Amino acid sequence: MKVIFNTLIVLILGLSGNSIAAISDAPNIRLPSLDGEFNLEDLRGKVVYLDFWASWCIPCVKSFPWMHHLKMTYQAQGLEIVAVNLDREKRLAEEFLKLVDVNFIVAFDPEGKSAEAYRLRGMPSTYLIGRDGRLYATHIGFREKDKPKLESAIKILLEGSQ
Amino acid sequence: MSLATCTLLQIAAPLAQAVDSEWEVESAVLFYSESDSRVLAIEPAVYASRDINDDERISLRLVVDALTGATPNGAHASSVAQTFTTPSGRSSYTAAAGQTPLDDTFHDTRVAFGADWDIAIDRVSRITWGGNLSREFDYTSLGASATYARDYNDRNTTLNAGLAFNYDMIGPVGGTPSVLQPMVDPGFTLNRAGADDNKTITDFLIGVTQVISRQTLIQFNYGFGQTDGYQNDPYKIVTVIDPLTGEPATTSGSTFFDTASTGNLPYLYESRPETRDRNVLYFKAVHHFDEDVINFSYRYYEDDWDVTSHTFDLRYRYEMDEGYLQPHIRYYQQDAASFYTHNLELGTDVNPASGAVNTTFASNDYRLAKSETVTLGLKYGLPLGKNSEFSIRGEVISQTVNDGLVPSGEETPDLDAIILQVNYSLLW
Amino acid sequence: MFRACLYSTKNKSVRVMAIMFMLISIPACSSMGIQPWERDLLAKDSMQLVPDYLDNFMDEHIYFSKEASSGGQGVGGGGCGCN
Repeated sequence: MKVIFNTLIVLILGLSGNSIAAISDAPNIRLPSLDGEFNLEDLRGKVVYLDFWASWCIPCVKSFPWMHHLKMTYQAQGLEIVAVNLDREKRLAEEFLKLVDVNFIVAFDPEGKSAEAYRLRGMPSTYLIGRDGRLYATHIGFREKDKPKLESAIKILLEGSQ
Repeated sequence: MSLATCTLLQIAAPLAQAVDSEWEVESAVLFYSESDSRVLAIEPAVYASRDINDDERISLRLVVDALTGATPNGAHASSVAQTFTTPSGRSSYTAAAGQTPLDDTFHDTRVAFGADWDIAIDRVSRITWGGNLSREFDYTSLGASATYARDYNDRNTTLNAGLAFNYDMIGPVGGTPSVLQPMVDPGFTLNRAGADDNKTITDFLIGVTQVISRQTLIQFNYGFGQTDGYQNDPYKIVTVIDPLTGEPATTSGSTFFDTASTGNLPYLYESRPETRDRNVLYFKAVHHFDEDVINFSYRYYEDDWDVTSHTFDLRYRYEMDEGYLQPHIRYYQQDAASFYTHNLELGTDVNPASGAVNTTFASNDYRLAKSETVTLGLKYGLPLGKNSEFSIRGEVISQTVNDGLVPSGEETPDLDAIILQVNYSLLW
Repeated sequence: MFRACLYSTKNKSVRVMAIMFMLISIPACSSMGIQPWERDLLAKDSMQLVPDYLDNFMDEHIYFSKEASSGGQGVGGGGCGCN
């Protein structure tokens, strides 16, 4: 598996042609979650917004209301949001989750095995996975000004033939 | 620096801050008191910072420094009583035999303001612009700085480069004194008619910060600085000693110091070089144990006044069920500046008839002497909810000046001081 | 009593050594370090290089007025007539 990390380039190129080329297969993830068990393969057929976060990471935490908003807006079109928590102590993640409204999947990976599989380079990191289970875009960080690009990429994946 | 991704040196904020960014405010009041009724200072301070947007953060700082008390004028204790003229030249004060002469006209209020503006250039680099202004009745300082930082190796290595420039203006009471000219008795024309003066301070610093492990971070800095301009302390004097008596020169040994007819007192205004170049090496290590944190630093300093110094600083944060205790120890040792002198001798250094001095630079400022400072402190911090903390600290500072071989009774007295500081931080 | 304030070679060698150390450290450190998700402890206030901003600022000011040395931690901050 070889993941290219320069998201902005991936997104900009993709948008110009109104379609995005897959980078690679998305490594599968199986982890305990808020609802019990999470298996990424089960979401085949949906567009997945895969986010890696931790309670001590400020921009990660700031992205929660936006992920909530994305789910509300696009779930009917087949978007699922998965937030993989990388706190060493699950307790810290749970304390934070009490303070926010979560309408999406939250999985726990205290050992960071899934982050390793995705060769995570910064926190937070976002990976967009198409309905075909392939990886189409990656993004590091969370800034206001990055939202439109991410949202456009999500729309293309939702509407596209992938 | 809580910019859009988790940077190496980011300030961790409580969770509830996540949604809205607010002012993070730190406030403090510091009491500083020296023994033997020397300086007493009260310093209120406020530091506030907030994110402007994902890529920018602003920090503001205001410190007021109210000082009263007395400070050594540079002359030593003597076996006879000594009379000095105040800086304004209007009156005299006397130090009794055996007492260190202190100028008790010393009082001042300083107001200092500073601002920093952090800007993320991209995901791995950022720049900080800084400005500062301070004002006291005889001194104004104006400065600007820029620091660039860039992360490498998945943010495990950070390189910094900083440049700062300061312009300081001094307008001492009575004017700047004529260097190595005598202090004179009130009623005679003062040797203090100089105009206001200034100096420029330029500092350059490069540093590397390296994450060693999940628990350990180290930093290594090198700094080079240059000061140009007026660097004398306009209130400090050096005693001219008559080697025959071991006492300040009088009319019996010198026609020049015949105070009744010439007005000249046996004390000369100090003289320092106009330039000073310095090099600093700085190392810091921070380590997180299971709960506690240790913060250690070492600094090596040298300059072309021949001052070299070593500073060791250690803080250990001991986490308790409620709050934390943080003992602090600091050790500082310096060698004397090349032109530091205990006094000047009549005959050898100063011509008894003309008062001409055969040296260009001389200062008896204890801060340029060989000395040691030991500080012991303890801080207690109590988090109040998630966003607020109260803390109190006490420190004892003890400074010993090593005068070398000097006549008994003329030693520079030790300086003992205590610090008491109360801090309160909150989100606003 | 006074020795000429020539800029000594000792100063220069310190500077050259320090700068070389910095440049070497970038590649040398590339094998050291941790993964982005392992920064939980480094993100804590207590693990910052200067954890107590005002304490540090006040201390620097006090020692600047009592000792002949200054600097090392960073640049900027301003001067005072206390030394």
